Amino acid sequence: MYRELTNARRNRSDWLSALAFLSPTLVVSGAFVVFPLLFSFYLSFHTWNMFSSQATFVGLDNYRKIATSEEFWAVLKNTAVYTLGTVPVNMLISLLIAYFLNKKLAGKRLLRTAFFTPVVMSSVAAAVIWRWVYEPNFGLLNTVLGWFCIPAVNWLNDPAAAMSALIVMGVWKTFGVNMVLFSAGLQGIPDHYYEAAEIDGAGRWSRFWYITIPLLAPTTFFVLVMSVIGSFQVFDTVYVLTSGGPLGTTKVLVFYLYEHAFKFFEMGYASAVAYVMFAIIFTLTMLQTKYLKQSIHYSA
Amino acid sequence: MILFAGCAKKTDQHPGTITLSFWHSTVSSTVPALNELTAKFHQEFPDIEVKPQYVPTGDALIQKLITSVQSHTAPDISWIHANFLQDIVEADAIYRIDELQSPSDSLSQADLDDIYPALLQESKWRGTMYSLPMEATGIGLLCNKVLFRKAGLDPEHPPGSWADLRECSKRLTVARDGKLEQVGLFVPVFPASGPFGDWMVWQFYPFLFQAGGDVINKEQTHVLYNSEAGVRALTLWKDIYSDEHQSSFTIDYEVAFASGKLAMALDGPWNLPRWRLIKGLDWQIAPLPAGPIKRATIVGGEYLAVFRQSRHPREAWQFLRWMLRPDVQAFWSMKSGYLPVRSATSREPAYQKFLEENPPLKAYVDQLQVAQAPSPVDFFGLRISRHLAEAIEKATLGGADPKTVLDEAAAKSDALLAGAARNKSPQP
Amino acid sequence: MNARSVIRLLGTIVLHVVMYALAIIAVAPFLWMVLTSFKELGDILTFPPSWWPKVFIWQNYVDAFDAAPFGRYYLNSLVVAFAVMAGQMITCSMAAYAFARLHFWGRNVLFYLFLGTMMIPGQVTMIPSFLVLHWLGWIDSYPALIVPGLASAFGTFLMRQFFLTIPRDLDDAASIDGCGKFGVLWKIILPLARPALATLAVFTFMGVFNDFLWALIVVSSEDMRTVQLGLAIFRDRYQTDWGQLMAASVTSTLPILVVFFFAQKYFIKGITLSGLKD
Repeated sequence: MYRELTNARRNRSDWLSALAFLSPTLVVSGAFVVFPLLFSFYLSFHTWNMFSSQATFVGLDNYRKIATSEEFWAVLKNTAVYTLGTVPVNMLISLLIAYFLNKKLAGKRLLRTAFFTPVVMSSVAAAVIWRWVYEPNFGLLNTVLGWFCIPAVNWLNDPAAAMSALIVMGVWKTFGVNMVLFSAGLQGIPDHYYEAAEIDGAGRWSRFWYITIPLLAPTTFFVLVMSVIGSFQVFDTVYVLTSGGPLGTTKVLVFYLYEHAFKFFEMGYASAVAYVMFAIIFTLTMLQTKYLKQSIHYSA
Repeated sequence: MILFAGCAKKTDQHPGTITLSFWHSTVSSTVPALNELTAKFHQEFPDIEVKPQYVPTGDALIQKLITSVQSHTAPDISWIHANFLQDIVEADAIYRIDELQSPSDSLSQADLDDIYPALLQESKWRGTMYSLPMEATGIGLLCNKVLFRKAGLDPEHPPGSWADLRECSKRLTVARDGKLEQVGLFVPVFPASGPFGDWMVWQFYPFLFQAGGDVINKEQTHVLYNSEAGVRALTLWKDIYSDEHQSSFTIDYEVAFASGKLAMALDGPWNLPRWRLIKGLDWQIAPLPAGPIKRATIVGGEYLAVFRQSRHPREAWQFLRWMLRPDVQAFWSMKSGYLPVRSATSREPAYQKFLEENPPLKAYVDQLQVAQAPSPVDFFGLRISRHLAEAIEKATLGGADPKTVLDEAAAKSDALLAGAARNKSPQP
Repeated sequence: MNARSVIRLLGTIVLHVVMYALAIIAVAPFLWMVLTSFKELGDILTFPPSWWPKVFIWQNYVDAFDAAPFGRYYLNSLVVAFAVMAGQMITCSMAAYAFARLHFWGRNVLFYLFLGTMMIPGQVTMIPSFLVLHWLGWIDSYPALIVPGLASAFGTFLMRQFFLTIPRDLDDAASIDGCGKFGVLWKIILPLARPALATLAVFTFMGVFNDFLWALIVVSSEDMRTVQLGLAIFRDRYQTDWGQLMAASVTSTLPILVVFFFAQKYFIKGITLSGLKD
């Protein structure tokens, strides 16, 4: 009861300060984020070819078309597969690399910068090398597989293999971001926790499992949410490597949305697709929040 | 390392000079030629200055045009593409050509007739002209002479028929130990949903025409690409594609040709400067082989339109009209490497001489005589193109039966056209 | 030398080998891009891709810088990137503090809704955002490129998660000493949040510097163009000017890598994050 009273009092007194601290963000977001979002939502109930100043109201028609569109569901499935393929692998690799980059290692700064280059690099240039890696006859990957007597795979043109090829390039392109985020998170874990544990006789693995992982939870949550959002919105890597092919097996949501907006000039439909995407990602995020509840309300 | 852009102003301004903004997407290597062109215009029209402004191509051009029209900052003149002509016309954003002309400076019927019909067709929507072509591109058969000779073929007699084409590609395909070392012809198959999906369809059209087919009927009630002609054309592509095992060939065709891994490709004049730069490459441009019914190729082009938000539409019209003069077309073609849009250009003496010195360009220009454009598709053009693209991809990469996939695609296209027929009138 | 230290040594060697091997895989395409910027066209259009240039030429760089006034574009990109970077560090820290430390009705709901704004792809909000700018009369100016970037759900989220790991005891200790809320943020939390601030700085800088779509629609005149808009000139519908594109891309990637290289010391252990000594 005392707790509740304290909270209630806190709620009131903090309201004004909260407003002060949030004001710059609220003002800018209001104009440049909230308004466009509301406008797009409004558009999702219309058709609009963008050149004209009139949009025609169509009610739930766009949403109905989405529900009945075979292509939409296929594209959604592709995107989900891509997400499931990239997010766990990405997080694992970037966490391990960030962890080991904390240890005694020669040339850390150089190594970190090297790991970060895929993130900043132009996708167009990167695609040239990756297309060579995946070339079925003389490409790097099949040549290496050949050394182990594994038969060649048609990475880019075989519908069964293209998604895997895309996933690998996708992980390559973005793990640097998560590596940096995990590095920052690792810095936030005070040394004295490790020291205390060591004194108590905890081994490396125990220290990692019982100290690092739990204390890293807020960062992990962040990385997870951002990775899921990012992979649902992937565009560049798909565009340059497979362009949605072969036979539409790597066509992802943003691709689908983009072509409806700027190729078929159906901005209303594209907005509806965007909001369906939003609903899906938001739900996923809320689920993640539920599962990792303790990491959100974490306090030392 | 600060280089300032102030030096872009080459011409001196008379008081009262009208400046026209001209949006284009010409690649960086052609920009100097464009500047020469506008300078030449200014010499003849001292009161008007055309200021070219580069806009990134494709989707970016569309996005820029949308936002500029919405914010009332549209350019005076811009490149536009047939694929969004419908939308920009329905929004009433550009002038009709007949509105721009006055009796004293209109284009004569002879001028209009002289423009290659295929190009003229793409400047219209529902029969009304909204733009004029500025330059043209086409496709021809790019051949590697060295590889021809190695295979015992004579480069002076490139494949003249479909059967020849198939035979040549087989002989020019080399595989060793199960690995494709060289491919005969690059059949331009790309992912239907990707940026080159429409380009693939565009390159398919000549073959469709050569078999006597067309995309759509005159009344635009149903598509014709699944006719027997279409099936024959797609079967040709499918056969060559599978003869060569092209599905396991994922090298970019330009890189492949430059490194001697590809003997033939469908190519266009935009690549001529590139091939000239590569040492040790012995190449030529041959006309496309003749189909079972006729010879045909396709042309594309860049079209100019004048925006209603322009404050100087009459002056803008001067530029569009000037661009069509045969001598100006000759000048532009010589400088930029694009093809001319009207046949009178070929009669300009300076141009004739230039062509003699440039056999590859001459090969492209000569083919303009048999250039054909698909019948107009006023509604859902891009979607119909997408249906066809998917069919092509399925038949070649997917190994499906051409007739089946074409019929499937046609069913989808026809359903759309039936819907369009119900809402025939354009929005005001 | 006992068994334990031998194993330890082996472990270190293996670690180094693995890390360097992975680093090479990560950086190889970038190295290729740099080397390619010095090649002639015939050397670029080869398969398999060549690595070391047959002939080293500077011409691509000359041509690239001739093709467009990149000097001006760099200036614009740098001004905008630094302005947004600094701005976000301020606005996101403030907002994150509100979400992490303050209690007010609807805090969590507001936070998750704010997060939700990241979930809509920019391609659909781009045109409405443009209309807002147009109504404000900011088209084709620095504010158009800077102001919308000053609020960031990503940045706020990042800072908030980091703030959550800082023990509240410190806040309380400072409050007792008479520090107001802003003082707590400024004197206690921010210094401890340097790794997160550095991270935010790097990502913001990079995001803004690499932005293409937004710059495309809000910039009309040549004077206001950014580097990414400049790079587009090397590709058109049918062809790519590879040499110049690589040269221009290299010069546009370098500033980010430089910022990254130097910002790293804030993520590297060594700085005592003490202040926690109680």
